[in-house]
Amino acid sequence: MKVFAGHLPGLSRDDVEWREATFSAWGESVKVMLPVLHEAQARALCADIRAHAGARLKTMEVARIAAAIDAAIARLLDRDHPLRREAERLLPVVTGYDPETVRLGLTSYLKTFRLPQLKRFLAEDFGNPGVLDAFEPTPKGGFVRAYGPELLLHVWAGNVPGLSLWSLICGLLVKAGSVGKLASAEPLMAGWFASLLAEIDPEIGACLAIVWWKGGDAAAADIFLHEADTVMAYGSNATLAGLRARLPVTTRFLPHGHKIGFGMIGREALDSRKAAAVARLAACDVIRYEQQGCYSPQMIFVERGGPVSPAGFARHLGHELAAAASRHPRRRLSAGDAGAVAAWRNAQELQALDGAATVLGGPGDPWSIVHVESPEPLHPSGLYRTLKLVAVDSLEEVPALVGRFRHFLQTAGVAASPERLHRLAALLGAVGVTRVAALGGMTSPEAGWHHDGRFSLLDLVTMTEIERGAELAAEGFAPYVD
Amino acid sequence: MKLKFRDKVILVTGASRGIGAAIAKAFAAEGGLIIVNYRTSEAAALSVVDACRKAGGEAIAIAADVTDSQAVAAMAERIGQDIGRLDVVVNNAFAPYRFDPEQRQRFPEISWGAYRAQFDGAVGAAYAVCRAMLPLLDRGQGASIVNIVSDLVAQPSIPYHDYTTAKAALIGFSRNLAGELGPQGIRVNCVAPGLVHPTDSSAATKEDVRETLIAQTPLRRLATPNDVAGAVLFLASEWSGFVTGQTLHVDGGLVME
Repeated sequence: MKVFAGHLPGLSRDDVEWREATFSAWGESVKVMLPVLHEAQARALCADIRAHAGARLKTMEVARIAAAIDAAIARLLDRDHPLRREAERLLPVVTGYDPETVRLGLTSYLKTFRLPQLKRFLAEDFGNPGVLDAFEPTPKGGFVRAYGPELLLHVWAGNVPGLSLWSLICGLLVKAGSVGKLASAEPLMAGWFASLLAEIDPEIGACLAIVWWKGGDAAAADIFLHEADTVMAYGSNATLAGLRARLPVTTRFLPHGHKIGFGMIGREALDSRKAAAVARLAACDVIRYEQQGCYSPQMIFVERGGPVSPAGFARHLGHELAAAASRHPRRRLSAGDAGAVAAWRNAQELQALDGAATVLGGPGDPWSIVHVESPEPLHPSGLYRTLKLVAVDSLEEVPALVGRFRHFLQTAGVAASPERLHRLAALLGAVGVTRVAALGGMTSPEAGWHHDGRFSLLDLVTMTEIERGAELAAEGFAPYVD
Repeated sequence: MKLKFRDKVILVTGASRGIGAAIAKAFAAEGGLIIVNYRTSEAAALSVVDACRKAGGEAIAIAADVTDSQAVAAMAERIGQDIGRLDVVVNNAFAPYRFDPEQRQRFPEISWGAYRAQFDGAVGAAYAVCRAMLPLLDRGQGASIVNIVSDLVAQPSIPYHDYTTAKAALIGFSRNLAGELGPQGIRVNCVAPGLVHPTDSSAATKEDVRETLIAQTPLRRLATPNDVAGAVLFLASEWSGFVTGQTLHVDGGLVME
């Protein structure tokens, strides 16, 4: 099976050199053809996208762009659409996530980009989204209009299916000509989405391109990095530092580095009835995307004092992970990943030897939980359904335990009463947490969320203001002046 | 280790996919000779045969519509000629049915013909297969018949009237047969799975229905084809040598009787 990745308006398939990447999982394999552009092609493509965006996208009303995105998303949500079927078939093979996780994850993710959600997203950042179309009056006097970048470069990473759509849609909503660089680990969704958009509204389709270069190929990267006026990039801090070092000083750089998420479960959520249900929600967060999302939990803090103890909760969670494995099987791990999981388990078992920890799940099980009774600071797990449960006397201790990771914090999944939710959120926000989610919803940020605490659309634009003084001065030059 | 079904001959009806295929492979992994019965999906049946051989057993595929007594008689004749006996019959095939909680027909909309079709597919098929295979089963020792029913009989979480009524009748059919064949050393039991996932038949059952079922199930998941196979193997083996006329629920504790 062979599939071509990317979206290259103006270039035919024969014009381009293709590099083959083979993915295998679940007993199938897929050959993905990745485009490798020559320098001249890359420069011409960037120039075309910039020019098309200037001539077309910039003059469109944002409502038309949102409608086109909505139409493309509707097709991807339609389980009978050929592209959706292709996505359900190929993404499990390419990413290694089980087919059910991919199918359910796609739907819950894509539905956050329907028209009402896009409108909410625009209103969230702009209040009056009309500023994207024209100068609008401001309360302080004068007028203001928002301008997106002429050429926005996205550098994607990771293998969570469709993650690229997030920034791509942000760029389109602010009318930026967009060039996206595919993540080698999930090189399909962005190109599919772009080609759907091009089919629905060819004028919009001409304003975005989806490209690829080999990670570490500085020469190829430099062409795009120098053409763009804004760069939104995902990846490790080392990758991001490498990109930033090569950017012209005037280029705006919006990095999204690796993050660590965690869960918190209050004693009020640990009674005989609720504990099992909460364990199920926590298991769902652990299983979805094998803890590889920036929002996934790496550790869960469990409060003592409820009818179900932290040790009892660990048993519940262990059973939920075991039960879920038939429906959401973990992929066969690569040697490297299996090594990381084994190393994590070994470290926990060492701790268990002196009685400080209890390890649940055997080496052959597709999950492991370790439960400790003394407080421990936040620490990354071995991924792939490995999790540490830390018992605490009070959830109020948790901010101090996670605070040293301030620059890596993002999502906290909290199960607690309303009053405590607000009290804890205040403490968590102060140490750097930017998203407090419901347990079970950690991997599904809601429409219009502030990714890493930033304004996803506002960060992309510059505001042009007509000052009140300019308006008044202009009056003096009016033909009707008395 | 001695394989549990070494030298045993097992007929599994509707074995080209889903639960039937899993049952066939499970018997093969225990050394059995499997007759993979199918109606039309020859390629799928041959791939099950292949998988059975890879699992360590032997297998042949025989096409027969189990509601057609002539086709079933022809299948029995071929088994008689080629192998000469039968130790286990698993009546797994059932009339096509779409398990779709949202689009299911409500009682006033269901024709008597729909009931009859399900009755033919469940009891009619078991009747035809048991009658035709009985002479072959008689030659074995400790023969066993296992009929696949449904836990919906005990608890109709979703009222699939025609399907479930037919499965209830199959339980009655099995108990009577157990009473009559017991003195001949042939046991008859039923396996009653809950919603089995993944199978083609359950594909239309939506996520929230699955979630609701899982939340009510003590073991917190849905049945898999292999779970069903485990219970079938138990009821076909000498481990259940003193068990007949029973219905074993394989639904994670959703139904307790």
